[in-house]
Amino acid sequence: MKNKKLLNIFKNQSVFLALIIFAMILIISSINKRFLSTTNIFAILQQISVLGIATMAATMLLKSSLFDLSSSGIISLTCVMVAKFITDGMDTTLAAFIGLASSLAMGALNGIIISKTKTLPLIITLGMQYIYSGIALVLTGGVFIGLKGKFSYLGNGKILGIPVSVIVFFIVVVIVSIVLEWTRYGRRLVAIGNNPEAAYLSGIDVDKYTILNYMISGGVFGLAGLVLLSRLGSVISNVGAGYELRSIASAIVGGVSVSGGKGSVFGAFLGVILMGIISNGMNILSISSYYQDIVLGILIVVAVIISNIKNMKAN
Amino acid sequence: MNEKIIVLEKITKSFFGNNALTDVDFDLNKSEIHCICGENGAGKSTLIKLLSGALLPDNGKIIIDGAVYKGLSPQQAHVLGIQVIYQESHLFPNMNIAENIFAGHEKLKRFCIIDKRTLHLEAQKILDDLGTDLNSYSIVDDLSVAQKQYVKIARALAHHPKVLIFDEPTTMFNITDANRLLNTIVELKQKGISIIYITHKLSEIIQIADRVTVLRDGYKISCHDSSLKRLTISQITNDMIGRSMELLYKREKSQIGKTVFEVKDLKVKPGGPQVSFSLRRGEILGIAGMVGAGRTEIAEAIFGVAKKYGGTFWLHGEEIRNNTPQHAIANGLCLITEDRQKTGVLLDMNINQNITITALDKIKGFLMDKNHENDLATEIVKKTNLKALDYNTDVRYLSGGNQQKVVVGKWIFRDAEIIIFDEPTRGIDINSKSEIYALMEDLLKDGKSIIMISSDMPELISISDRVLIVKGGKIVGQLEGDDINEEGIIALAL
Repeated sequence: MKNKKLLNIFKNQSVFLALIIFAMILIISSINKRFLSTTNIFAILQQISVLGIATMAATMLLKSSLFDLSSSGIISLTCVMVAKFITDGMDTTLAAFIGLASSLAMGALNGIIISKTKTLPLIITLGMQYIYSGIALVLTGGVFIGLKGKFSYLGNGKILGIPVSVIVFFIVVVIVSIVLEWTRYGRRLVAIGNNPEAAYLSGIDVDKYTILNYMISGGVFGLAGLVLLSRLGSVISNVGAGYELRSIASAIVGGVSVSGGKGSVFGAFLGVILMGIISNGMNILSISSYYQDIVLGILIVVAVIISNIKNMKAN
Repeated sequence: MNEKIIVLEKITKSFFGNNALTDVDFDLNKSEIHCICGENGAGKSTLIKLLSGALLPDNGKIIIDGAVYKGLSPQQAHVLGIQVIYQESHLFPNMNIAENIFAGHEKLKRFCIIDKRTLHLEAQKILDDLGTDLNSYSIVDDLSVAQKQYVKIARALAHHPKVLIFDEPTTMFNITDANRLLNTIVELKQKGISIIYITHKLSEIIQIADRVTVLRDGYKISCHDSSLKRLTISQITNDMIGRSMELLYKREKSQIGKTVFEVKDLKVKPGGPQVSFSLRRGEILGIAGMVGAGRTEIAEAIFGVAKKYGGTFWLHGEEIRNNTPQHAIANGLCLITEDRQKTGVLLDMNINQNITITALDKIKGFLMDKNHENDLATEIVKKTNLKALDYNTDVRYLSGGNQQKVVVGKWIFRDAEIIIFDEPTRGIDINSKSEIYALMEDLLKDGKSIIMISSDMPELISISDRVLIVKGGKIVGQLEGDDINEEGIIALAL
């Protein structure tokens, strides 16, 4: 039994990923010593904190074989709403809570439409994406909104030298881990992702948990938006653009399966780290950021192929 | 004219150790209608699939027009002029009849543009020759079941086949349509096509067969020639059943109590027949019937998976609603489905997780105490006699028998009172079958009651306390005690 477990560890995508990260760190830091400095490490973590939180939300959905292409819209609209409230004089904390509440509502709306109409998430969330980002555009009037220094703590503050945004990121990772692995709610989500029909016949209210999943993920996307808003100190209407795909991509690179089977939160976390290392590393090595997209794309395709090799062999 | 188009010599085919066909001999003359009949699982479908090229035999020869083959590919079968008309609809519902008929071999003009005029002209000719009043422009989705069957026949005829194989074509038909189809088939034979006709409707065999071959448990039992001796239903039935068979399993007699569950006037489709029956505590109520008789539909309506169009359910004398599976489960019912891999188990989760999924609240703690979960699951594993090397392995890697134990286990975990089994031992090896029966007996001892849908005759006869026979969506008979035997069941089921 023990030997089997050892072999299985190596087949585990997370370990594989950790090795790649380790290798990249070695390579890049040998070319440029600045890479491993404390300042840079925190910089990397801070840079990926927003993506990281969004990826956790995407992971919760993926574990149920779901995804939300409107997450960039949720992020944008949350940011825009909170920015407007703050510049109109509202207390920043209150504004943040209202922003969170609305992101929960946006997620819930997605979930309700998808489960009650039994339509593919792809189509519904694609449509909702246009609606949410459209509303954000209307609210900004196409103009950028600056916070003039307010609401800066979340994105730029530090506790004991560690950026608050990084602390929030890590807390979200831990909570999502616990939820998926140790709560009955998470167990039901995973069962639904595994086999929705068997889950339904076992007594799980698939509709209810789908709605809850979209709602809670929506809230986490909203949280990512708050951190983003705080870091930027200003907002334009499409500030969240790209996060819907990048969050899914990070999770996939981390070994989370699109069909709801395999994949862990830790893997997704590593996926985000890898994304961060690549973009930061490429900057440090003075490689043009235009190449980053190509590298990221290759990563994603390779990651999916690797996680599918097991499938190909099984057949 | 005894020219043999097809000869099968000593054909054997098995799946995972189960013999579907053993040393079967069969032959088809030119311009004959040769019927094949047998109970569920006799090997009829396997035989067709070997001829259509969907499967390869393990042993034996297939001789077509004198040429010997070890096995056929679908392309070869096609080229040799063999066409099959299956039960399940394989038509394109959103395309019209002509497009369906010529799908894959459309009439083309220059530059690969489809010649619609010729397409429809030729399609209409085939339809008219068949004696239908169908229009080649009609969209297939709008057609009735019977009309779709004719489209399938037309599609097969467009390939100018030498052999047409029909797989239970009149299952969903009413008497009028069935007779029309039978006449059409006789006309096709007269046009020189050789026909294999699979059916369990003995009256149809008497009507059109030149010869009939009876299969049982994968063996060819007999071949009767109507030109030599008049075919009789009793003769064929005898062959299908065989002599008295040994009991598959010796069941302990259990204490049967009062009625726990009643179904009254259940309708599974609008305007359909009404079904009523009751279930007593501690009994196994077998539900027999041919495939397609409507048994699973009844089970799904009881469990809340499918909508019901009338009727009521009664538990311990009080009315209950089973509008969704959650309701049914809360009322103490459960459904163990036919296809455990598809709808029964969570393949990529482990044994513990599969077992506890029906009652996660039984696990202690605000966050699930995994040690407690393991203890609870281990209890169930012991009770069901599940043998697995490592409880951390995904259920995907368990044998069929063990997977079924996991499914039963999760309902024991939930303390289900009434357990509906749909084909409890399908695809399970003999030894594991006995273990499942022993498990059922334990359930009865614990005061549970079982409804068992089964197409496995020995199983029905050995295990059931009572048997209801379903035909055409309604209960046509009930057998109890010593009356439960194969003749009794078949007589009512067919």
